[in-house]
Amino acid sequence: MFLDRFFSIIAGDIDQWLILPVLYHFGWMEWEELSFDWALICVYGMFAVIVTYAVCWPLEALFPVERWASRKAVGVDVLYTILNRVGVIPIVSFLLFYQLQVVFTGTLVDWGFVPPDLEMWIPALFGHPVITFLIYALILDFADYWRHRLSHTFRAWYALHALHHAQRQMSFWSDDRNHILDDLISFVWFFVIGLAIGIPPLQFPLLILLLRFIESLSHANIRLSFGWLGERLLVSPRFHRLHHALKGAGRKSCNYGGVFPYWDMMFGTADFSDLYLPTGDARAPEALATGGYLAQQWTGAKMFAGAMFKRG
Amino acid sequence: MILRRTLFSLPLLGFTSALADADAPPPLAPGASAPLAMVMNSGEATVSVINMTTREVIKTLPTYREPSHWVLTPDRSKLFICDASGNALFIVDPLTAQPLGHMTIADPYQLGYTPDQKYLVVNALRINHVDVYDGVTLKLVKRFSPGKMPSHLDFSPDSKWSFNSMQGSDTLVSFDLTDMTTRWSVKVGPTPAGVLWHNGKILVCIMGANGIIEVDPVNGEILRHVETGKGAHNIFITENKATIYVSNRIGGTLTALDPATLAVRRNYTIPGGPDDLGEAPDGKLWIALRFAEAVAVLDPVSGDFSKIDVGRSPHGIFLNTAMRKPGKLTAETL
Repeated sequence: MFLDRFFSIIAGDIDQWLILPVLYHFGWMEWEELSFDWALICVYGMFAVIVTYAVCWPLEALFPVERWASRKAVGVDVLYTILNRVGVIPIVSFLLFYQLQVVFTGTLVDWGFVPPDLEMWIPALFGHPVITFLIYALILDFADYWRHRLSHTFRAWYALHALHHAQRQMSFWSDDRNHILDDLISFVWFFVIGLAIGIPPLQFPLLILLLRFIESLSHANIRLSFGWLGERLLVSPRFHRLHHALKGAGRKSCNYGGVFPYWDMMFGTADFSDLYLPTGDARAPEALATGGYLAQQWTGAKMFAGAMFKRG
Repeated sequence: MILRRTLFSLPLLGFTSALADADAPPPLAPGASAPLAMVMNSGEATVSVINMTTREVIKTLPTYREPSHWVLTPDRSKLFICDASGNALFIVDPLTAQPLGHMTIADPYQLGYTPDQKYLVVNALRINHVDVYDGVTLKLVKRFSPGKMPSHLDFSPDSKWSFNSMQGSDTLVSFDLTDMTTRWSVKVGPTPAGVLWHNGKILVCIMGANGIIEVDPVNGEILRHVETGKGAHNIFITENKATIYVSNRIGGTLTALDPATLAVRRNYTIPGGPDDLGEAPDGKLWIALRFAEAVAVLDPVSGDFSKIDVGRSPHGIFLNTAMRKPGKLTAETL
């Protein structure tokens, strides 16, 4: 809790002394109500990167699945992580979708439908914010399971998602390597879910970071299993590595879950094999694996356009 | 969260209780447990309840998502706290801070009853609506879509006109509540926020500039500009009508104005993003500091202030000591 307050104060200082003067100078003060949230996202994002690095780097050094002569291909994943975790992509996505959200939600309200929160569906949850948060986490992880599984099912969608799978040097930095259109689809996906069950409570940023940490850890180049029971409670590096294995690339895969493996167990896509296989997508262009950020984005966009307009 | 409140209030206990004894407010109405300050923490979906005598946070009420501003019901039995992204009014007993439930309502950010209490007007900032509800049944009577980001509002004393600032359109819009029409909409400057009817004129804070403007309520003509500080955000008048206060978000200051002339009497430096405020019976001002996770208690005579830690992004503040006052209570009239 000390950290919670500490980070909020830092975010407040960044907002007060850095962001707000910029908004004021350029005449963008209408965003001042939200600028503190943006500062908070950036501060927590930076903290998440530091903690993830501090925990995962020694583990990767001590218990690696693979040893690489060069880590050059990992470099671009660091850039993806910074862009995502310090808030650049979330903030840009928010600004792009803000007007859409205004029009869409406003229209729903005009029709007499006020988007509910989960606590409106289940009033007993009110006053129990931690339980509410955990239920939101389960629902959103369930939704993410289906988003992820569908991204492997449709050819055009997988053309975007292939960027995530192309990495042969998968590490804890790889979680955020996604095509920007893939990120936007995710944003829309969760926007729609948000309309149905409300925006999850954001008063527990450290819990959110813990969930994101599990996702980063699951990509780490670590020979680590959580044991028979643990593997069935949380997604481990071993469990998720099977999803990223060469055989897991493409339109039929396994272990789609991000944080919880329950959905894979429920829908028959779980694979708990005690294997640590090489990762990557053998059919992906080399630019997706080892190209720079722009090369990866451009190649992914071309693959997406090709898949969209390909007949048959 | 409760643990957090406890941990952070402990070091303050000795200091604040010593400060508070001499300034203990007089007793409240029957049924009141103690003089309480209720602080709406927009950034963490809670309301911090502070015992104004001991200046301790005595409890923290969860809300749905994002508490911002408040209004008292005409019979004073309920405090409605806006929960904008929670799409609800959080209802609290104003005397005891006991939660009384929720009412679903679209995106309430700022709201107010007309002086005759016939209507409840709600600014829905995120969805660009100004909604007029029946003051008794709370049924929707009229929905306006007057511009982007409806922010703050006030009324003419005869309850005929409403004045609403549009933060995203740089306009002040006036509605005729007798026939539910738009009277006028005028550009008033970048990012208008706080609105106050005063001496037959409308005062509007211009957050993208460095002060307030005075507007003719009849036709929307801008009459003059008064410099207060960067990011003028909200405006209040004391109960005895002796002082107008303007909180300046960017400048980190509070400006005291002469109500008759609007001349600047004094500027108080209060870093941390001053926002809404309340006036305690001892004359001290309780000011929500958005970026400091704190409420400042300012002695306007000496200019000294102390802080009480609350939740993230404290926004609106209600002092239940105001319940002693007769007549209609609003957030803007201290």
